[in-house]
Amino acid sequence: MKKVLSYFNKITIYIKDSFRRMVSAVKTDAMYRRFVYLFVGLNVILLLSELDIMNYSTVSLYAYIIIFTIVALGLNILLGFSGLMSLGTAGFVGFGAYGVVYFETLGFPYEISSLITIVIATFIGLAVGLFSLKVEGVYLAISTLAVGEIFSQIFKRVTWFTNAYGGVHYKYPTLLGFIELDRNMTYIFLSFVMVVMMVVMYHLTKSKTGRALLAMSRSNSSAQAMGVSISKYRLFSFVVAILYATIGGILYASFYRYVQPLDWNLMLTLLILAMVVVGGMKSIFGTFLGVFIIYGIPKLYLEDLFSSVSGVAYLFSGILIIVVVMFYPYGMIHVTHDIKKLYNKYKIHKQNKLKAGDGDE
Amino acid sequence: MSDNTNKSYVLKPGTLLDIQNLSMRFGGLTAVNNLSFDIKENEIFGLIGPNGAGKTTVFNCITQFYKDKDGIIIFNNKKNEIINLNDIHVEKIIKEGLVRTFQNVELIKDLSVIDNLLIGAHTLFKSDFIGHIFRSKRASEEETFYKAKALEILKFMKIDYLKDQYVAGQPYGILKKIGIARTLMSNPKLIILDEPAAGLNETETTELSKLMIQIKENYKCSILLVEHDMGFVMGVCDRICAINFGKFLALGTPDYIKRHPDVQEAYLGRDDE
Ligand SMILES: Nc1ncnc2c1ncn2[C@@H]1O[C@H](COP(=O)(O)OP(=O)(O)OP(=O)(O)O)[C@@H](O)[C@H]1O
Ligand SMILES: [Mg+2]
Repeated sequence: MKKVLSYFNKITIYIKDSFRRMVSAVKTDAMYRRFVYLFVGLNVILLLSELDIMNYSTVSLYAYIIIFTIVALGLNILLGFSGLMSLGTAGFVGFGAYGVVYFETLGFPYEISSLITIVIATFIGLAVGLFSLKVEGVYLAISTLAVGEIFSQIFKRVTWFTNAYGGVHYKYPTLLGFIELDRNMTYIFLSFVMVVMMVVMYHLTKSKTGRALLAMSRSNSSAQAMGVSISKYRLFSFVVAILYATIGGILYASFYRYVQPLDWNLMLTLLILAMVVVGGMKSIFGTFLGVFIIYGIPKLYLEDLFSSVSGVAYLFSGILIIVVVMFYPYGMIHVTHDIKKLYNKYKIHKQNKLKAGDGDE
Repeated sequence: MSDNTNKSYVLKPGTLLDIQNLSMRFGGLTAVNNLSFDIKENEIFGLIGPNGAGKTTVFNCITQFYKDKDGIIIFNNKKNEIINLNDIHVEKIIKEGLVRTFQNVELIKDLSVIDNLLIGAHTLFKSDFIGHIFRSKRASEEETFYKAKALEILKFMKIDYLKDQYVAGQPYGILKKIGIARTLMSNPKLIILDEPAAGLNETETTELSKLMIQIKENYKCSILLVEHDMGFVMGVCDRICAINFGKFLALGTPDYIKRHPDVQEAYLGRDDE
């Protein structure tokens, strides 16, 4: 017991230390600043809705965007960095959602239920990762599809876990056993977790680990020659992707307080995939943008405009994917880069003109 | 054969790598046939032969990309232990002090030049992913340390002005240089280069020759290289081994190899085609 406590102590010191250094790095690292802006921006939406400037339901929509940004970030690590494919994402989101509800009905507090769910997901992730060592490419995609399908059958049939078609009800989380969150607090909590997950991804990908993943995805043999263990990093990326998906699921249950079996299907997985591809592979803010484009724009604007046409959202994302893959293979986030480039060009052009004018005199 | 695990190997003093009776077959084709040669410490060693002679296959055998081969490959590793490389997994080879490039440069295009170099130091990093997630003090210090080292190597190769640029879009000559720079990150005892001069123009090749000798002297390592550019090979190598159809032809100084009748025949035969 003492050992556990001392270990726990160490971790807290570690986190504190890490946090201190991050705060001091905010001045020098623009990424940290952007994380802060995003957090503030998301909560301004909450404020606007409280002031009745925005719809009450808009918050709920942004909660969805937050949750699926987390999920898509995980898939982005797997797809964008490690070059691996998974079609089981939705299954793991569903597992996270059902898991936290189930373990809380067993009497565990919110944090412990989440932790148990995460630990189980890690083991499943390890199993999937181990399996992935044996199969490549399309076959890997198909096998993960099967994993997703198994989950979706479990959600429909294993009554003690999911209450089958009835679904399960939940409540807003109670943190540390006494901080009872309401809807708005839960939303803030969600946006906080999302930013933390973004920071984790930022740190991971800009490290030896991230470089190893990239090396592996570009060429197995070249990575091996540099001492990168393919099996280790494959396992790692599957576990990370599945953890992100599971955490997304836990947050889904925490905010929407109702989980039903039919939501976690291949369609959702493909939408998450579209979010990653459209937003931008390897890009953290691109992923957020991708989720906003694929989910937010249809819900916010298109569905009102085209309420008579059903499925317009899917049509929209379908067309977008084709356009992005053809013209913007690095994702929509690069539009900003291009605009910047154009602007710089324009500036240089103007300067040259000025100079030429000087010469004339 | 029975006490395979605790077998102790010997190397003559001053020898770094000793290949004994190496054979490698692809189905019916014997790509390397009973080949033996050794490389000394602080030596630039050339392996030459016409197209398809088996040079790349030899490299892949040494660096353990191929498992089913005959013969032994003795190496004096970083800790000065004499080991058989066949006992080492391909992903651990670099730790022993042996690093390679590939015939077609295999860099990560969407990373900066300096980040590509850092991959070469992968096995030297001590921090694990927990440290990376929290960006612990140790992990960031390590990162700074190896970045400084990478910068030093880039300066040595006179391409430090490129450090923050992406690899994608760099000219071929630069890519080759980055590939070589990356090998230096791992403090190697032996660098294996597959056709370092291929695709380079004359000035670049001359520059590369100088670089080879500078690397040998500054980094106190040996270099084993495969190259078709005979001027380059003859100018830069201390010793050369010529092979044809996977078989040993001759081994000696550049002058000796140039005059060797079997080597001349192998190459003249190719010229006739
Ligand atoms: N993986 C493989 N499977 C089957 N045959 C192979 C394989 N790799 C090489 N070979 C054959 O082995 C022989 C030697 O090939 P290798 O690539 O070692 O030649 P090389 O000397 O490097 O040639 P080059 O100068 O063109 O690079 C060739 O006949 C080649 O076709
Ligand atoms: Mg070759």
